[in-house]
Amino acid sequence: MCCPGCQAVAEAIVSGGLESYYQHRSETSINPDALPNALSDELTLYDRSDVQQAFVQHSGALASTCLLIEGISCAACGWLIEKHLGELGGVGAANLNLSNHRLYLSWDDSQLPLSQIIQTLRRIGYAAHPYQADQAVEQLAQENRRALRQLGVAGMLWMQVMMASMATWPEFNLDLSSDLDRILRWVSLFLTTPIVFYCCGDFFKGALRDLRTRHLTMDVSVSLAIGGAYVAGIWSTVTQQGELYFDAVGMFALFLLAGRYLERRARERTAAATAQLVSLLPASCLRLDKQGQSQRILLSELQLGEQILVPPGALLPADGRILSGQSSIDESLLTGEYLPLPRQVGDQVTAGTLNVEGPLTVVVEALGNDTRLSAIVRLLERAQAEKPRLAQLADQVAQWFLLIVLVTAAGVGLVWWQLDPDRAFWIVLALLVATCPCALSLATPTALTAATGSLHKLGLLLTRGHVLDGLNQIDTVIFDKTGTLSEGRLTLREVQPLGEDSPEHCLGLAAALENRSEHPIARAFGRAPWAAEQVTSQPGLGLEGVVNGQRLRIGQAAFVAALSNTPTPAIPGNQGQWLLLGDERAPLAWLVLDDRLRSDAPALLEACRERGWQILLLSGDSSPMVAQVAAELGISDARSGLTPADKLAALQQLHNQGRRVLMLGDGVNDVPVLAAADISVAMGSATDLAKTSADAVLLSNRLDSLVQALALARRTRRIIVENLTWACLYNGLILPFAALGWVTPIWAALGMSLSSLLVVLNALRLTRTPAVAHAPAQTA
Amino acid sequence: MPALYVMIPIAIIIVALAIWLFFWAVDSGQYDDMDGPAHSILFDDEDPQHRAGVDQAAGKPHDQDAPRG
Repeated sequence: MCCPGCQAVAEAIVSGGLESYYQHRSETSINPDALPNALSDELTLYDRSDVQQAFVQHSGALASTCLLIEGISCAACGWLIEKHLGELGGVGAANLNLSNHRLYLSWDDSQLPLSQIIQTLRRIGYAAHPYQADQAVEQLAQENRRALRQLGVAGMLWMQVMMASMATWPEFNLDLSSDLDRILRWVSLFLTTPIVFYCCGDFFKGALRDLRTRHLTMDVSVSLAIGGAYVAGIWSTVTQQGELYFDAVGMFALFLLAGRYLERRARERTAAATAQLVSLLPASCLRLDKQGQSQRILLSELQLGEQILVPPGALLPADGRILSGQSSIDESLLTGEYLPLPRQVGDQVTAGTLNVEGPLTVVVEALGNDTRLSAIVRLLERAQAEKPRLAQLADQVAQWFLLIVLVTAAGVGLVWWQLDPDRAFWIVLALLVATCPCALSLATPTALTAATGSLHKLGLLLTRGHVLDGLNQIDTVIFDKTGTLSEGRLTLREVQPLGEDSPEHCLGLAAALENRSEHPIARAFGRAPWAAEQVTSQPGLGLEGVVNGQRLRIGQAAFVAALSNTPTPAIPGNQGQWLLLGDERAPLAWLVLDDRLRSDAPALLEACRERGWQILLLSGDSSPMVAQVAAELGISDARSGLTPADKLAALQQLHNQGRRVLMLGDGVNDVPVLAAADISVAMGSATDLAKTSADAVLLSNRLDSLVQALALARRTRRIIVENLTWACLYNGLILPFAALGWVTPIWAALGMSLSSLLVVLNALRLTRTPAVAHAPAQTA
Repeated sequence: MPALYVMIPIAIIIVALAIWLFFWAVDSGQYDDMDGPAHSILFDDEDPQHRAGVDQAAGKPHDQDAPRG
């Protein structure tokens, strides 16, 4: 057990008879300690009926709601949650959707308050938030179902159409009477009509839109083939002569819809996992009334000029000025400064930053849209509008392909019109069907789907479609420092003993004291070998306590030296945060805390350099740490102390030079640049806003997954090119035969399915990447 | 070939039925979660109803088969 939190969780799980969670879980779940601290009075806010109104529906005795669960890492989590809740009295049903982490819950309001359910979830290690589906998400779900329905209809009807229409082909026609032939033609027309109008409607709409904007895209090409074959089919059904291409329509529709559906699914999953909480501010806050009593209220109830109490470890809900108290504020998400900054009475504080040490009383000066935080969000909206669009390879190919086919069809049609006017129409039709770009339009989606799946296993989620294709056009990369190249939290760098004690002994003493502290710095010390007693905290100064009968202090040098009445020693270095440890006789050791570089950062930099990319480090941090990181990683162009607007300006300058930019970042101050960069990747530990505005999220937080992703993007590009080449080759080969009038429906169907199959199998090679990932030396 | 005059309408009716069934399945949310159900069979071992079913199938209500995991 790593901590008391885990111990409690394990006990709750085992005492609930749910041990099989440990048998079946595939990933260790996140540490409950890492979840936001349970504030039970914040939870009881959820029991107020005016608050519940927004997200709880009542039907009879049961209330139902949807909760968004944080901390789900594998299927066992889902099982644990459902089981655990099912055992509470009063819970009617608990269904967790593992794809989007939503828990659908119905329970008896009178028996069990909602806050208790949420607390129960917290106890087993999951944070739950009331979830309100916004319109975009709702619409996405609708579209998903529609896409699935279209796919299903196309599949089922196509099989029937195939049976009916193939029977009329001369190759299979045994002794069909003319009556039956007519019936079969009408039956296949009847069955094909829904395929064309219901399933393929989106292709036609897309084609119309593209034609209006004077673009020849894949949709135009697809619509032409489907529409042409369908209209000719009607003609041939009515006149009882000519060949029937209905089965080609069905096959084409099914393949295309399947390709698009899979691609949508692959991206959907990732989008659902990231587009969850765009809340950077706490849901509630503590308001102080005139008597100085604090009361927990919803953030939306807070007014300008009111006083709020911000306990240590809480996010500031509004911009304001400190009235009383002394603390340090962690502004790393807003500014990139990696050390908490000291703040005292009269200082300005910003919404969205973290109060680290002592309680603060703050008078509210700006709320909601007027805060500095929302100024950044507005910058984000502007940046999104300016995002350049990377050209998609498939659309470029489709344009040329369609032009060539149309010109050839016109030429062939003219020639046949001179030779044999009766056959001219059928030959042009056969040519259009045979060259219909089935494999061509499957080439990209299948490759992207396979690669997206592989990347997911590597821990990189793609939320937008252009990432893989676009990674190959990148020539510049921008890194953020805090939280991206570095870990973004303080870790222990060094222990320098001043007396005779070993560094390990000093560290043990320090850890014993710090283990009793809530301060974020305390985590850097790890587990303590001893327990400390009588620990008291002096905000802004340090901790005092007794370990093994020895009275100790840790913290600011002057505070520690005061215990032994010795002169304050000078800080021996300038980087990082220096803490002094001392007892009643003398100072014992210096402990240096620092933000450490991620261990895989050099490998990523190496991979970028190998590709010849220009590398920039843009940081909001103004400390010398930026120059140090740049020197360590060999980045020549490093700029520090930038505001979000400065970062965006730097990006725009690069765009004006015609550069294609990849951006890697995590903080709120990176958000506008993430949104405006050609391709952006947010770290998994990033703020929600950063994740939603990025094109991809590095869930694993391992930079080496990104190196693998870069390699995979190259392979994907190669597979796409292979697929496109093969598709064009096939279409080019069959073109002369079609022009000569040798292609009958059976050959068209065979060629189409074989070429599509080949393309799909080729794309499937991309799913083997994780195996390669374990042996990087091996080239695929 | 007279059988075809019956078979074709039947085929169409069956397809219509299948499509209706499929639409119902999609609308009732059965395809919304593509990951969860795949894992849920793993947890059936502890389900009391499943246990009861296994015991019943073995014909012995309390045999040595039960505590294995």
